[in-house]
Amino acid sequence: MSALGELQRMRKGSRGTLGVAREPKKDNKAAFAFLLPWFAGLLFITAGPIAASFVLGFTDYNLIQPPVFNGLDNWMRMLGDARLHKALGVTLVYVLVSVPLQLACALALALLLDKGLRGLAFYRSAFYLPSLLGSSVAIAVLWRQIFGADGLFNQVLSMAGIEGKGWISDPDSALSTLIVLNVWTFGAPMVIFLAGLRQIPAMYYEAAATDGAGKWTQFRRITIPLLSPIVFFNLVLQVIHAFQSFTQAFVVSGGSGGPSDSTLFYTLYLYQRGFGNFDMGYASALAWLLLVIIAAFTAINFWAAKFWVVYDD
Amino acid sequence: MRRIALAAAAALMLTACGSGGGSAGQELSKEPVTLRFTWWGADERHKRTQQVIDLFQKKHPNITVKGEFKDWNGYWESLATTVAANDAPDVIQMDELYLASYAERGALLDLGTATKHLKTADFDKSALDTGIVKGKQYAIPVGLSTYAIVANTDLLDQFKIKLPDDGTWSWDDFKKAGAEVSKAGGGKVTGVQSFGFDAGSLNIWARQNGAALFDVAGKVAVPENVLASYWTFIKDLAKSGVSPAPSVTIERAGGPLDQSGTATNASVFATWWNTQLTSLSAASGSKLKLLRLPGESQASSPAAYYKPSMFWSISSRSKHPAEAAVFVDFLANSEEAANILLTDRGVPANTKIRAAITPKLGETDKAAVEFLDTIKVGTAPRVTPNGASNLEAIIKRHTEEVLFDRLTPEQAAKSFIKELQTEIDGA
Repeated sequence: MSALGELQRMRKGSRGTLGVAREPKKDNKAAFAFLLPWFAGLLFITAGPIAASFVLGFTDYNLIQPPVFNGLDNWMRMLGDARLHKALGVTLVYVLVSVPLQLACALALALLLDKGLRGLAFYRSAFYLPSLLGSSVAIAVLWRQIFGADGLFNQVLSMAGIEGKGWISDPDSALSTLIVLNVWTFGAPMVIFLAGLRQIPAMYYEAAATDGAGKWTQFRRITIPLLSPIVFFNLVLQVIHAFQSFTQAFVVSGGSGGPSDSTLFYTLYLYQRGFGNFDMGYASALAWLLLVIIAAFTAINFWAAKFWVVYDD
Repeated sequence: MRRIALAAAAALMLTACGSGGGSAGQELSKEPVTLRFTWWGADERHKRTQQVIDLFQKKHPNITVKGEFKDWNGYWESLATTVAANDAPDVIQMDELYLASYAERGALLDLGTATKHLKTADFDKSALDTGIVKGKQYAIPVGLSTYAIVANTDLLDQFKIKLPDDGTWSWDDFKKAGAEVSKAGGGKVTGVQSFGFDAGSLNIWARQNGAALFDVAGKVAVPENVLASYWTFIKDLAKSGVSPAPSVTIERAGGPLDQSGTATNASVFATWWNTQLTSLSAASGSKLKLLRLPGESQASSPAAYYKPSMFWSISSRSKHPAEAAVFVDFLANSEEAANILLTDRGVPANTKIRAAITPKLGETDKAAVEFLDTIKVGTAPRVTPNGASNLEAIIKRHTEEVLFDRLTPEQAAKSFIKELQTEIDGA
């Protein structure tokens, strides 16, 4: 959980005491050696395209012919782009609904598993598995089958005498199926919650119990405050992650974001403009707008953290 | 995200150093050459095309052809991606919707430079002309096809419903026949598989109403009221149970041919290109019949038209344009290849080939050729303008909006024209 520690220190603004800097020098080298592959990847694979896309954001570029500089045209165009606004709405709903639900599920399961069930290792893996698979094409294809008109979900419903519908092909329910898919991948935050729960000293609970605090009070007064840095960490991470969701919507809607744009995620629209409409200049500008939006949400998260995250060290 | 950005940057670097493309007039290499060949289609087409590739490789031992095939959905995004990454397949199966978009941007080889290896003498001039963009031959038409209704006569027999007379039927008759089937089908089978997801149906609708989707200059020319009547009819079919519930329709429209209402024997009448009859028959296992379009006898002139079902084109950045031209020549002119492909890609536009294969056709292929030969057609619509390649996605989205009551047909018509014209203006 060193990342967590890092986050806590950053919050406190004590940058000068970052872990690595205080270590003896030779350890430094080893750290850099281990980081080297990642740095190389960043430099040669990621940094170039990021810089290029920034430049392309100010051009009219159709993928085949050389880009032509067009100033702020792409950015002005965003103001009047109805489908962009639709995509923003869909993505916001997705992030604002699925992330809290996902974290709530993760926390609930983590509390349950923390009780020390028999076969804990098995359950932990079983619940973690979906988050490894969640953004894969295979699961998205599976989702399409499950929530199709003749899918598993409707078969279960029909056993209960309820008549289903094509959940993915109905614009009123298509986004919900994707939200469920994201909630289902609660394993990653759950594992982090579990680790966090283990760090809360048992003596706090013992003391509280001695003073006559019930389970609920213990949860509210001890677990939540002491776990809040971890909740914050998960929140920041999952919000960023959710904004960038692409595969699920792409596969489930066959790349269209349909029906009637109800699953038009931001990244999917960006992809459509870039590769479907030969509009890579605009798509690049859209990518940078997404970066700004994610940065803004992260900043808001950090600001709001002042009011609810407790650091006790 | 990262991958998108990566592709963008790669494209940027590559466009800077390598544009233009070779000439296809050069000598053939003696060294081993590998060509990549991409097409869309269903299983049947993949099997036949692979056989043709094997045959070609036997005749040209130093040329290896690697097939890359996909479903129509996804084919174009994938092609755009590979073109942008300077990794385009050498030989590309091209569609009328995308021809101008790729040709006008310089992604395709001018086949006029390939005449040494690629002959076109056996093609009708009018057919060849469909592959010309801005005066240059960028594509060779593979086959011709025409829009039709496919009817499942096995199901009609089972329900004891008479096959409608397609020489005189109107869209009202079409709807009535569909309603009869839906009633007899008891929820399992509906009369009509909804249309509204392709350019064919909209073109026909516009033309029967004396309009056209695009004018000669490439502007959107279809009037609002014609569009509104198109969507009103589609909505009406769904509301009255003649076509399935919207969510079922959308699900099927998004899937491959094998999952369509026709292929799964879930709908009796559906709009298709006549040449899809063989694939559909194979998938459904039922007896299917081609019917002329409703409304044709009421229209002042035939709205039906011959559409080049698809084209062969070569990437302008192919490293082996001469070998690619040899391969396209084989696809376009070889009787042996035609004997395998038959009419899967349309009734051959090469007249010599068409005559040669007709006796060898199976029942459904023969029916498709006969249908094409006997139908009355008008002049073909203008090639889809540069920028309007996403026409079908826009049609589909508006059909969804109408089916789910999010837009009225009139609102959809307005929005459709505005969006499509914006795309064309932006290209």
